[in-house]
Amino acid sequence: MQAGLFLDIVDPWINWTWLSTHIPYVLAAVQEHLTLTAIALVGGLVIALPLGIAARRWTNLHLRPAALTVFGAFYTIPSIALFALLIPYTGLGILTAEIPLVGYNVLILVRNVLVGLDSVPPEVLDAADGMGYRPFARLIRVELPLALPAIFAGLRVATVSTIGIVTITAVIGLGGLGQLILRGLIESFHTPLVVATALCIVLAFLSDLAIALAQRLAVPWARNP
Amino acid sequence: MNRRLGAGWLTAAAVVVLTFVAACGSSGGTGTTSKGTVTVAGFNFPESSVLAELYGQALAHDGYSVNYKLNLGTRKVVAPALQSGQIDIYPGYAASELEYYNNGAGEATADPAATTAKLNTYLAKLNAEALTPSQAFDGNAYAVTKATAARYNLKTLSDLTPIAGELVFGAGPECPTYKFCLPGLSSVYGLHFKQTLTLDTDGPATRAAFKNGSIQVGLVFSSDADLNALGLVVLQDDKHMIAADNVVPVVRTAIATDEVKKVLNNIDANLTTADLVTMNGQVELLHQDADAVASAYLQQHSYFA
Amino acid sequence: MSLLQATWQWLTDPAHWQGIDGIPTRVEEQVHLSLESVAIGALIALPVGIVLGHYGRFGNLAINISNVGRAVPSFGILVIAFQVFGLGDVPIVIALTALAVPPMVTNSYVALREVDPDIKDAARGMGYRGLAQLFRVELPLAVPLIMAGVRTSAVQVVATATLAALIAGGGLGRYIVDGLARSDNPRTLAGALLVAALALATELLLAGLERALVPRGIRLLSASAARRASTFKTA
Repeated sequence: MQAGLFLDIVDPWINWTWLSTHIPYVLAAVQEHLTLTAIALVGGLVIALPLGIAARRWTNLHLRPAALTVFGAFYTIPSIALFALLIPYTGLGILTAEIPLVGYNVLILVRNVLVGLDSVPPEVLDAADGMGYRPFARLIRVELPLALPAIFAGLRVATVSTIGIVTITAVIGLGGLGQLILRGLIESFHTPLVVATALCIVLAFLSDLAIALAQRLAVPWARNP
Repeated sequence: MNRRLGAGWLTAAAVVVLTFVAACGSSGGTGTTSKGTVTVAGFNFPESSVLAELYGQALAHDGYSVNYKLNLGTRKVVAPALQSGQIDIYPGYAASELEYYNNGAGEATADPAATTAKLNTYLAKLNAEALTPSQAFDGNAYAVTKATAARYNLKTLSDLTPIAGELVFGAGPECPTYKFCLPGLSSVYGLHFKQTLTLDTDGPATRAAFKNGSIQVGLVFSSDADLNALGLVVLQDDKHMIAADNVVPVVRTAIATDEVKKVLNNIDANLTTADLVTMNGQVELLHQDADAVASAYLQQHSYFA
Repeated sequence: MSLLQATWQWLTDPAHWQGIDGIPTRVEEQVHLSLESVAIGALIALPVGIVLGHYGRFGNLAINISNVGRAVPSFGILVIAFQVFGLGDVPIVIALTALAVPPMVTNSYVALREVDPDIKDAARGMGYRGLAQLFRVELPLAVPLIMAGVRTSAVQVVATATLAALIAGGGLGRYIVDGLARSDNPRTLAGALLVAALALATELLLAGLERALVPRGIRLLSASAARRASTFKTA
């Protein structure tokens, strides 16, 4: 274009000096990132688990198609649009960030809860009934444990997705590692941008691994469905 | 089998709890302060972060407990936040604040003291006040590339009037309705550009647009430190459209004790435009952190205490 | 006037339906960016996935690439693309294409692997070899799952294209970003509603298209793989 007119300010993709002097800053961002993710996962599970169980139990309420449709539609909507819709009502804070994140996770998790519970063989249920388990006890001690592999699989997908979307909450003042990305954009400063993007990927992989390990411990008899 | 299941659930629960603990762990409480808590906010550009840090760190040094909301947004986000009490202080620019609070009535002049006095007549009704303006100044500035300046022999904004129709202008989303932007360029200088691109307010998109030739004229800030390095030159405001955009703290009356006012006024009394340019350079060119830059400046001046 | 009324007024104002910042222009920009990215992505991803699936090679890579894709933060990729390529459509399309590729690779691979081995045997017995077998037997059977992958990609690309506004791009995200900057709540809300509508419309349109094009006789193979691949959210 206009070659030679702009003195490109030399800015390496990773300035290791900056990184070594900003470890606490980066770690604080990671911490905020993990907190936002954890809340979204727990929130999603807290809603999805009872919802899935209820949908199977009280089929006359048609909860299954209703939940899948409603949360499925919600899932299609980009997070930034949902944040924008919520800001006038819930302000610039954690609630605005978490409502969409939890909503997305409910879809992923409720699908897996349903699949997991559906996959319990009828012979096992019969046997449990024959052994004298009452419905609630049968749910807790037989059905849910057998559904765990599917639920864990859902948790892995939900976690990785959430970690990526949390970066977008930077536009409402949160963001965790998203704040570093935003800084990289505003200041045309490569290092926080690259470091944050790389760390997101690393965090996603480590979380996936951690949940897979937890699954191995909790359900050692089963592999991924 | 039951024992194993129990162990399994415990493990899963432990993982969740540990995540929480790790995540929430070290945001522990700090010591108590006797003088109270203030929340300092800044606009979403680096200089405002530096100014907010200057105010905040000086107050913290004086014994206040300070919260920061940096990069909060444009004036249209920050000003309402002050009115609603979500923030207590922000570093304003006298003329721009006046034209915001008076709905563009056109009362700002080149005199910082008079402009601030007028500003305070509006702020008083909102339980806020502007303190003493600094001599440090940062207003809208309009830049062109050195090539464009050479091609059309441009030195002042008036030089743009005959050729504005051939040029593309870039600014932020608030420019079309902001007195010292498009409305001012149009009414004072009669500038009607071929096209106006909505980019950002003196941010990376504007710079990128200059770089790839999408715009020939763009909005920058007069205290930007990287203009020369980017090959940009600011056109002189020969008809004095830009009024007294001197740095001035806007504070909520509720926290504007004599002590607070003294700390903030001490900083502004000594702050110069050259200081702003230097600190902007440290942030924009050397990528130093706003809080570190502010801290170094304050320590260099012994916190003006 | 309530916020909802003001938003409705914004949406029904004819001035907002014309010009460079008008709704049709913004919708066209977002659709255009998305189409380009999915098309280029498909050109890259489908051949790779199909070939790997046909020969059964690099299975782990093909399946896990969508896990990697899910792990990449779209916001970060967009900003990096902006830093490298500057303003304009190029960085946006590059970033969106990168996000579109993984689910299509995985789905194409799985689609080819899931073809019933008995059918492949029968085809071989009938004289089909190599590429002929691929094109005339395996691919038609794999189409449903491949289309599911394309649909998953497309829906997410349309959603992620909203973020282009954060790097001074066009599209409906412009209303959200500009509205937030100006504290113009009706604009922000209108933008959010339009984005939501576009995302839903894309999903419904492509789902309908899929249902129309895939013969009822061919079931959607391997539901779990399909489910795994369709939970792909980047924005």
